[in-house]
Amino acid sequence: MKVLVDLGWFFKERKKQYIIGVTALMLVAMLQLAPPKIIGMIVDAVAEGTLTADMLKQWMIILAAAGILMYLGRYLWRVMIFGSAVYLARTMRERLFQHFTRMSPSFYQRRRVGDLMAHATNDISAVQQTAGMGILTLADSVSTGGFVILTMALTISWKLTLIALIPIPLMVILTSYYGRLLRRRFMVAQEAFSDLNDKTQESISGIKVLKTFGQQKEDIEAFTERSETVVQKNMRVAKIDALFDPTIALIFTVSYILAFVFGTRFIIAGELKIGELIAFISYLGLLTWPMFAIGFLFNIVERGNASYSRIQDLLSVEQEIQDRPGAIGELPQGDIVFNIGSFTFPDDTESSLRDIHFTLKKGETLGIVGRTGSGKTAILKLLMREFEGYTGTITYGGIPITRYKKENLRQAIGYVPQDHFLFSTTLGENIAFTNPAIDQEEIVAAAKAAHIHEDILTFADGYETMVGERGVSLSGGQRQRVSIARALLMNPELLLLDDSLSAVDARTEEAILHSLKEQRTGKTTVITSHRLSAIQHAHQIIVMEEGKVVEIGDHQSLLQKQGIYKEMYDLQQLESIVEQGGETYE
Amino acid sequence: MNKQVNLSAKDQLKTFMRLARYVLPFKRSAFIAMVLLMITVAATVVGPLIIQMFIDDHVVPREFPARQVWIIAIAYVGLQLVNVIALYFETLRFQELALSIIQQLRIDVFTKVQKLGLRYFDQTPAGGIVSRVTNDTESIKEMFDNVAVTFLQAIFGLIGVYIALFSLDARLAVYTLVLLPLFLVIVSVYRYYSADFYQDIRERLSQLNAKISESLSGMGMIQAFRQEKRLSDEFIKVNEGHYRAGMRNIKFDSLLLGPFIDLLYTATVIAALSYFGVTSLTTAVDVGIIYAFTALLTRLFQPVQQVMQRMSMFQQAIVSASRVFALIDDPRMEPVQTAQVDKKITEGKIEFRNVTFSYDGKNDVLKDISFTANAGETVALVGHTGSGKSSIINLFMRFYEYEQGEILIDGVSLKDYSMEELRMKVGLVLQDPFMFYGDITSNIRLHNSALTDQDVREAAEFVQADRFIEEFPEGYQHKVSERGSTFSSGQRQLIAFARTMAMQPKILVLDEATANIDTETEVAIQASLAKMREGRTTIAIAHRLSTVQDAELILVLHHGEIVEKGTHHELLARKGLYYTMYELQNGEQENI
Repeated sequence: MKVLVDLGWFFKERKKQYIIGVTALMLVAMLQLAPPKIIGMIVDAVAEGTLTADMLKQWMIILAAAGILMYLGRYLWRVMIFGSAVYLARTMRERLFQHFTRMSPSFYQRRRVGDLMAHATNDISAVQQTAGMGILTLADSVSTGGFVILTMALTISWKLTLIALIPIPLMVILTSYYGRLLRRRFMVAQEAFSDLNDKTQESISGIKVLKTFGQQKEDIEAFTERSETVVQKNMRVAKIDALFDPTIALIFTVSYILAFVFGTRFIIAGELKIGELIAFISYLGLLTWPMFAIGFLFNIVERGNASYSRIQDLLSVEQEIQDRPGAIGELPQGDIVFNIGSFTFPDDTESSLRDIHFTLKKGETLGIVGRTGSGKTAILKLLMREFEGYTGTITYGGIPITRYKKENLRQAIGYVPQDHFLFSTTLGENIAFTNPAIDQEEIVAAAKAAHIHEDILTFADGYETMVGERGVSLSGGQRQRVSIARALLMNPELLLLDDSLSAVDARTEEAILHSLKEQRTGKTTVITSHRLSAIQHAHQIIVMEEGKVVEIGDHQSLLQKQGIYKEMYDLQQLESIVEQGGETYE
Repeated sequence: MNKQVNLSAKDQLKTFMRLARYVLPFKRSAFIAMVLLMITVAATVVGPLIIQMFIDDHVVPREFPARQVWIIAIAYVGLQLVNVIALYFETLRFQELALSIIQQLRIDVFTKVQKLGLRYFDQTPAGGIVSRVTNDTESIKEMFDNVAVTFLQAIFGLIGVYIALFSLDARLAVYTLVLLPLFLVIVSVYRYYSADFYQDIRERLSQLNAKISESLSGMGMIQAFRQEKRLSDEFIKVNEGHYRAGMRNIKFDSLLLGPFIDLLYTATVIAALSYFGVTSLTTAVDVGIIYAFTALLTRLFQPVQQVMQRMSMFQQAIVSASRVFALIDDPRMEPVQTAQVDKKITEGKIEFRNVTFSYDGKNDVLKDISFTANAGETVALVGHTGSGKSSIINLFMRFYEYEQGEILIDGVSLKDYSMEELRMKVGLVLQDPFMFYGDITSNIRLHNSALTDQDVREAAEFVQADRFIEEFPEGYQHKVSERGSTFSSGQRQLIAFARTMAMQPKILVLDEATANIDTETEVAIQASLAKMREGRTTIAIAHRLSTVQDAELILVLHHGEIVEKGTHHELLARKGLYYTMYELQNGEQENI
């Protein structure tokens, strides 16, 4: 029940709605008692022959009034309570989303998108259930149950009421026991299902391999096996699930029999009228739902509890990188000076960067080469302030980048990541990501510079072509170039290309590098790459190895150094040099 | 993601009938379930009748002869016990039925998916296909347990209640028949409007989730480009739309669903009581009948209430089923072999004769391609992205069907070999080596149980993958996580080599990896490749010209045509496209 306390802020915010809703609910619960009572009275009057036309008319009018009031009441509480629950879901979702936009990359490194999605969907819907069905069940079972029992006890017979209710606690115990069993088995069934899902996903992603090796039949067998498991696990759930209704029916049968046996005795003893017994039996029927609801309520609230605390945990993660008090609200400009003692990624034990010192003059191009994991990307991440917590300083225009507003720093930077992510919208909008209102000409200009314009024109819808799930699938090289165009469109002061030319062929790479050179005079560029061809024209090249700068210089001077750069260069050329052996070049 | 389809009533019926046919193989089970259901319905109808008898015959006259009372008591308890037991097994049966039907449907879809041609996969996002196989079938399941049970219960329930009503008071029962068309009107009005509302809210929810999921995946970009505010605003808009749709749904449901049916119930009770009351003013009425009648009225309304609540589930199931059937009916199948089973590939000589091919029927991506690779020789395909290299492989691997020209192995058309023979003798190494969840052995062996552990090991040794594999403490049993993400791309490449070599193919098709392999691994890979090619006819796509210089034949492709062909030296001597490409890749040497 803790979640109901935790959600206090919300109930307070929606006080009006909940008060109206719960009041309407109680009104309905009370009015619900009228029909059985009236039926009982009419039956008695008929049995005793005391029924008159006037009396009948009067009671029927009362019944009709009760019916209409119940209708209104039911409408009202649904809209108020369920409506509030939907409102809560909306509010929580919005909070969560805005929170997500503030979380830094290290947050996303630690968590998987699938899990975060689960919080934003399943957990929110569980909390919504608590605020809707949960509150309804609580209010309804307490009020309906309470009123019914009170009416039975006060207007008919308290003795009979007590007797008829004897088996009820057993039902509550049993249903909540089933609930626990059910949850456990349900989780196993869910796992089997998600296993099947993974299997399907894998088969479809690996379809080429399966076809190549002619293993479709075997794969269908493997799939059948897993879907068989899904059936088995779900049957285990069904075996428990199917217990609820029979148990409730059985226990109510016992109650009915008790009511009849003792009711008849009371009638014989003259303590009870026939009509009263009939009314009593009707009331007993009204108790089925609230009793069932209590077991149900425990389940809802328990799930809501777990979900709400998971969401709260997420929301309580603090924004890691914030603007310092008095941060500078200007666009950074000028030289970039890196003076890093060491930097370790959060959750890592070993440092990723050590003793990085270089100066990048405004308007120049820096090339960074090195193997995967040598720290190339880390340098870019620090420049963008995706991570902090290094020793030393990085200055931009003489001012440490930590003293700029994050907003302004990033405004100066155009970033092309390694994993070129595109949004599922049109190609044009993907390129105009930073400025959806920009002129078409500028989009085209950026696309031309990134050498993707021609490709885009080959699609039937040109720049209006949809990307992603519902649209075309682009090749890796095309995606990279769209993502380069996206960064070029903002004509940034500082352009960062993180191994962004790896999937384009040599000719296109050359062409892109050429247009970069042309377009970015006076602006600063950093390119990281495996392939030396992408960076050899840079003003300055640094060679990274295991987080350290091992060589620094321009292409010529590095080759002359006969160090690692030269080695890498030779390796990349190795075979051709060996093959060539003076034969091919006459 | 889940595009909602608007189905006409006729399409809905068709889909429903097709779905219903899936019950046929489980006739027996369905029949038993149905019988159990009828028992439970009968029991709930008969229960009040027994009580009515007891009231009329014994409570009212206050006569309780032990024998009769016992008989009634035992009958009632017996009935309830039968009811409870039948209820349990009925629920279970229906679940089993639903699960079996869905399993069959799933296997059918999955089998179909496996038989679809690559054209289908190239044009359809993987997420959508997975959704068809798992999620859509799951929502169809609701149709067979939840919806079917409720609908059947409702139908039997209504019949049972009417029988009881008629046996109590025929005249009154005739009056209550008026309720039937009324129910029908309410249900169809509700179905009509709720279908739209429901579809609207489903669509908004899927938009909402797509938005969250995409924003989460692209958060790095959003932040790097400072678009947090814009994306938040967009999200708030979608979220707001979903909220409004939700509220509208609640209001609509409250107006027409539960509360309305309850209102109708009260009205009916008033009518019945008035009837009995007025009648009792002139003639005698059995009070037991009044009780039984009002109790039965309650039972009359319950099924209607439940049917309406299942309506949206029903709609969703039909929509899902139509999507699943659309996949099952998709015509984009894989190419068919003329299956002359005894044809065997012995030499491995490959010949392309005037092959012209187009993916869309409009633009030819391959134009009049002809070449021959003699047994044991290597043919290298070079050219820029989009020049048609991959298409040649797509046709040769029978991923796509070709219409013009002919492709022959050992002088026999590719179409005349059985698929098994082709798959056994032709090994393809993909650019992006796909890893399956499992361990290294299972990734090399795949589902081929004919391969022993020794075969697997030898294949790994052959491609020199054994070095890094044996460094793992578990060796060949080392776990491979989803997509093999813990391996470097070079290691994945080597495992894929081993996988191919384990089959010992006569013909090798190589799609050279382009990116992200560090130079050292690259050298190891090149060494393995050279070894693999020995004694095998090879078609290789090369991105780096340096890797194919020893090929017997190099084909230079440009816009789907072979523009140059010859050996490395011949091509260089021509100073054509190949020469230029070579210059570009090796130009720096002159700087040294």
